[in-house]
Amino acid sequence: MTAEAEDSTVVSFPLMDSRQIVAFGGGGFSMEAGNPLLDTYVLDLARQRRERPRVCFLPTASGDADHYIVRFYRAFPGSTCESSHISLFRRDRGAADLREHMLSQDLIYVGGGSVMSMLGTWRAHGLDRILAEAWRAGVILCGLSAGSLCWYSQGVTSFHGEVHRVRGLGLLPWSNCVHYGTGQGRREAYHELLQRGMCPGYAAEDGTALHYQGTKLVAAISSRPEAQAWCVGDRGDQVVETAIPTRYLGEQPKAGDASAGDLQAVA
Amino acid sequence: MSGAIVAIGGAEFTMRPENEALHDYVLAQAEPPNEDALRICLLPTASGDPHDQIVSFHGAMERRGCVASAISLFRLGVAPIDFAEHLLAQDVIYVTGGSMVNLLALWREHRIDEIMRTAHERGIVLCGYSAGSMCWFEQGVSRGTGAPTSVTGLGLVSGSHCVHYSQDPPRRDAYRRLVESGEMKPGLALDDHAGVLIRDGEVIETVRSREGSAAYRVEPGDDVVLEIPLESRLLETAAPAVEPGLAEMRELRRSRSGSRRIL
Repeated sequence: MTAEAEDSTVVSFPLMDSRQIVAFGGGGFSMEAGNPLLDTYVLDLARQRRERPRVCFLPTASGDADHYIVRFYRAFPGSTCESSHISLFRRDRGAADLREHMLSQDLIYVGGGSVMSMLGTWRAHGLDRILAEAWRAGVILCGLSAGSLCWYSQGVTSFHGEVHRVRGLGLLPWSNCVHYGTGQGRREAYHELLQRGMCPGYAAEDGTALHYQGTKLVAAISSRPEAQAWCVGDRGDQVVETAIPTRYLGEQPKAGDASAGDLQAVA
Repeated sequence: MSGAIVAIGGAEFTMRPENEALHDYVLAQAEPPNEDALRICLLPTASGDPHDQIVSFHGAMERRGCVASAISLFRLGVAPIDFAEHLLAQDVIYVTGGSMVNLLALWREHRIDEIMRTAHERGIVLCGYSAGSMCWFEQGVSRGTGAPTSVTGLGLVSGSHCVHYSQDPPRRDAYRRLVESGEMKPGLALDDHAGVLIRDGEVIETVRSREGSAAYRVEPGDDVVLEIPLESRLLETAAPAVEPGLAEMRELRRSRSGSRRIL
């Protein structure tokens, strides 16, 4: 092909962003035994990439707990996908293999636990950079709790007792709070951190998930009819929580129920 | 005076006599004030805080009258504690094996590396096996990223260190190669069930709890790597502990069958 012909074929309109993240506030097989709605949602997304998608579980935040890995394989059996897991505590793959394996996946599923311990371990193995590369290459990233916080630039963690700020991988330029509204002072601490200059972001209750294309939120979904996701930011004098229309993935509630889809600002 | 460091090439918290002898040796290095019960804390970080290891540790140490505790960096949500306050109140800190790469990364993340230095300066006995043995040295040979490579440790003991020396040939080969090339400093190699006691940076003695376990000084020679065996003292192993229930059952069987055969 000549340079001229090549030039004439250049089409310069923005393509759909292939980078995707689905961040669970809490839910999926780790927290909702018998309720596969969020896991099915991410698996369906992965099916758009491959008929029998490759799903890799990262149990790092739990210290690669055996029982957790077993539960993953039960939730993502070989009949629905090609599942694997990476243990950074019993690592048998070299650096090149680790990267190659992650980049060949359709979905990378990050489990819950200690976000600080997870990020420290990832950095020691260069997995932080590999995950960013996988994201840019279109591998769908998802996870709950620590597996949600990690994708954002900042997160609120209470794993080590008192609530504090943690720096994530920064793929999403927002802050994040998981298990929102379940007590333990997370909501209050998040608001305080926002007032002290934390960037605005998204809060997800247990049972909700935030789906991003690129860095743009394209859907909020839930595995529980009443679960809600929120956009939260400091407006100078007060922290404002805006309810995000959250679509329940199960059977739709009957008409006449509360209008869960309406955008409502709550101070 | 800085505290003793006991480095062990490989062990476990099972009730095998070899392991029991090493536990006793470690505890003998501590001098709790006022003859208080000895306080010992486990850091099972290198293997991701497995529950069974924590349980075995508690069993092994409580049988010896110690006040045992464990810090799990992956499950702090349940019982948050102040790392510095807790660790600096111990007589012994015991670090188990797993991934040396992860161990040091996690300690840095939680600033436990600094606490360990302080603990050492304050005279607390530091010990461990496998990754928990190499972490105290300047360098260790870790298989934490697949192939054996040199990993930087805390450097409380100068030189390098290799564990599972006779039990893990690829690790031994890599260590010899790395010492020969100068990528790793000369150092100490330990088999499973072999240990060294180090005080103020000096090896005080080398011990073993199993007849065949050895310790070596590994350093570059004129044309080959030198592997100099270190003389070690065989620790007396206590009679294997038998579960009371099991002993009772054996007694019962013996009396019934009239046989003197030990089951």
